[in-house]
Amino acid sequence: MNKDHNVSEEQLNAFVDGELEPEETNTVFDEAEHSAELDQRLCKQRKLKELVKHAYREVPEPRRPSSVHRLPKSMFGLALVASVLLVLGAISGLLLHGYFEHGSINGGYAAAVNPNPAAATENYIIHVSSGDPERIGIALKKAQALLSSAEPGARRKVEVVANEQGLNLLRSDVTRFKDEISYLANERVVFYACSKTIQRLQEKGVEVKLVPEAIQGFTALDRVVLRMHEGWQYIKI
Amino acid sequence: MAYKNLLKISQRRAFRRLVANNRMRLYRMAFAWTSDPQLADDLVQQTLLKALSKQKQLRDFGAAEGWLFRIMANCLTDYRRAKREFLSGDNLELVDKETPENCAKEEQLVQKVRLAVQRLPISHRQVVTLVDLEEFSYASVAQILDIPVGTVMSRLCRGRRALREELLEARLHEPVTPAVNIKRIK
Repeated sequence: MNKDHNVSEEQLNAFVDGELEPEETNTVFDEAEHSAELDQRLCKQRKLKELVKHAYREVPEPRRPSSVHRLPKSMFGLALVASVLLVLGAISGLLLHGYFEHGSINGGYAAAVNPNPAAATENYIIHVSSGDPERIGIALKKAQALLSSAEPGARRKVEVVANEQGLNLLRSDVTRFKDEISYLANERVVFYACSKTIQRLQEKGVEVKLVPEAIQGFTALDRVVLRMHEGWQYIKI
Repeated sequence: MAYKNLLKISQRRAFRRLVANNRMRLYRMAFAWTSDPQLADDLVQQTLLKALSKQKQLRDFGAAEGWLFRIMANCLTDYRRAKREFLSGDNLELVDKETPENCAKEEQLVQKVRLAVQRLPISHRQVVTLVDLEEFSYASVAQILDIPVGTVMSRLCRGRRALREELLEARLHEPVTPAVNIKRIK
């Protein structure tokens, strides 16, 4: 620490940061008046502060996520898969109706996923960032519970946005929930895959394949903020 | 019930404003801490999503900005714990090294200051940037980083001393040494 003057280095910092009491500020001004060296130290300290500010006034923007390879690419393949999904969707719809009705998985979470009936007309965005199948299961049951609790005639909208480990929900080669996703998509639940998480995986050399119901092109944050801006309720699982 | 709903709506609006107003500020700070635009962007996304999920914990909207920066500091700590390969002073590379204006004086100065900031230990770097870039008071910085005010002052002192020695007492406009090796051409 520089002790050439009565003004310590901490005081000097506090002076340039406006942290000193008025009397202390006066003392530093007085000292600087009589000491060219202290005056120079003050100038340097101020210059340093300005330099740091200047260096970060404009910062480089992050790269925007690129598009994701989704299978299949050909129109024929797409049509084929669409037809298969239509049939599967109808079958799984019938089966899963019973599954959600009776809460065969994680029945103990029924209380946790029971929405507030008073808010029956509100729309919801559910955010999943965990890869834990149990938590993913809760998110899907929550989506179903919200849809079923909407008042008759009300077109409640529910979206599920998945990022970080939660993206596993929408990765076709990883997810255990293809049937549930398909069923819920038929029920108008929209699934979003975070483009930032996809980009990060791609940078690590992972080929990201999404289930056909997944929509991408947004970051999780952008989607959540957009929906909140529109008055939707946010639920983090 | 109506009053409660109105309150909920106004809180949600206030929170949206908070996110919109602070996103760029958080990004700038995250970039100053990490020197990596992608990592900084990830950090901001993580911070805001965490903030959204914890918004009920926020009692005083007046303290919301500090609260956001505190979440971000915690996110960075978690990230550093999880990733051992986080930038250290030994393997620094300049950001934007492909910038063709590398010879321009302005760019040189900016890069030199950023490099000097990046060379500081993360604990000093955080204090210096929170005070200099965001003009947070020492008390606010202490809250954000969960350290005593005295520690803020001593870290600031050491951080600025290192910067001063590197930037003001050395030759500021000396060319920046490129971080990448250049192959010799015959």
